[in-house]
Amino acid sequence: MAQLAAIVGVGVTRQGRSLGIPERELRREALDLALADAGLRRADVDGYIACHGGVAFEDLRYLGLGPLFSWSLASGGATAISALIVARGVLATGQATHVALCYGFAPSLFGARSGAGAGAGAGLGGFGYGYPELYGMVGPATSHALHAQRHMHLYGTTSEQLGAVAVTQRAYAASRPGTLGHGKPLTLEDHQRSRMICEPLRLLDCCRDTDGGVCVIVTTAERARDLKGRPIRVLGAGTGHNIRNWYAGTVYAHHDDIAPAKARAFSEAGIGLDAVDVASLYDPFTISVIMQLEEYGFCAPGEGGPFVAAGETGPTGRVPTNTGGGQLSGYYATGFTALVEALLQLRGEAGATQVPGAEVALVSGHGGNGGVQNTWAHATALLGAGL
Amino acid sequence: MSARVPHPRDFAPDDLDRPFWEACRRHEFLLQRSRATGRYHWPAVSDPETGREGMEWVRASGRGVVHTFSIIHQAFRAELAARVPYNVVVIELEEGPFFHANLVDCPNEAIHIGMPVEVVFDDVTHEVTLPRFRPRRAEGATG
Repeated sequence: MAQLAAIVGVGVTRQGRSLGIPERELRREALDLALADAGLRRADVDGYIACHGGVAFEDLRYLGLGPLFSWSLASGGATAISALIVARGVLATGQATHVALCYGFAPSLFGARSGAGAGAGAGLGGFGYGYPELYGMVGPATSHALHAQRHMHLYGTTSEQLGAVAVTQRAYAASRPGTLGHGKPLTLEDHQRSRMICEPLRLLDCCRDTDGGVCVIVTTAERARDLKGRPIRVLGAGTGHNIRNWYAGTVYAHHDDIAPAKARAFSEAGIGLDAVDVASLYDPFTISVIMQLEEYGFCAPGEGGPFVAAGETGPTGRVPTNTGGGQLSGYYATGFTALVEALLQLRGEAGATQVPGAEVALVSGHGGNGGVQNTWAHATALLGAGL
Repeated sequence: MSARVPHPRDFAPDDLDRPFWEACRRHEFLLQRSRATGRYHWPAVSDPETGREGMEWVRASGRGVVHTFSIIHQAFRAELAARVPYNVVVIELEEGPFFHANLVDCPNEAIHIGMPVEVVFDDVTHEVTLPRFRPRRAEGATG
């Protein structure tokens, strides 16, 4: 199983605030780009996974695909890695040979989700929190603010340290064409001046929704050798679910249930944290990056804020992180943002923010925000350059 | 002009938590407990060890401490615009479970983690009573 699967095609459409393109058309464009990237034909795709809201039954005619199966997979921001895990199982058991993971999301077409007030409620349907909504708890920023507040209380983390995440990632995005932050660097002062959304999170602690499509094609390492391009190995992967921390009463002490996801992924890959050249951490809010750096062990618990403020996630830091700007400053593709950036780095295609000689990337995703704290699902993937 | 007050049933697909909300109308604070494990839950669940067997609703202390909180400045829904800034607090109840609510009788600036709190019932409408929390008064104090 280890190292059996390889990613051989990547397609990324334009990503932006209001593209006006329907979601299935975004998936079609991404699929075409990925097929061209891999040197494959439509007929080669014998497995299809519609990611995060894709309608598996209706997509195929529109896309012109004729696979053996078409499944929908939804685990919020953990969807991309979860689909990768499913694809590995499919490949390992010989159910298919070329699996297309297709994502297309256009929140602008159904109203603001995390945006200010406009059409309030319409797009926030998935972001009510059950009974907490009776008390005005709405939207993912609120649930992450609860974590940030607790982290500040326990460790003395500051708003300026949250701001360091925003500034560092914006610096990456500023030199990355096609991102929201392209050509628009931020200062810490900009962050501190941005209005409060839900304490302690300010506007610039939050990412913004974008429209866009991504397709990733996964095949066996054996088949990958026959294809053009630069295959990227899946070295290991794992999952964890925050319900375990909920039962244990420790849900606010942790950022997701990362421990088992990390342990599984690293043991499968047979490498340690020191082998990781670049990190792509799911980052809907600045606090997410700080807490994940701690949970993955790049720094000790409580030291995530100082770690980022010291530049350790920057281009010359200990672990360059979210080198395309992430979701905070790049674009929000629900977990595919992180996966795509890791693939670009390992293929040596990350442009001005390429980490020289990057061979191993850590990718994380979390999602399923339908609860009462940050998120439920967490998934980890370790990717490696070459075969 | 006020928006319709949400009802707890708007957020539940079944009547599992109905005893809790009915008790609130009587100003009683209940939690679900597993007879076998003694573990308390909110909202109602199947106990991870014993499932749905032996779950019962019992009177709870209604006391706890603020575990974490946020002051909300952004009106994520139009009907919340008149309320901002308002607080959302997570109470760690004495019995163990977390309870999301608002803190009342306390300025937002004074809310802090670890603050002892107690339940207070807000009869929002004839049909809906919401438990909220307020800073806990000194033992023995009245009124």
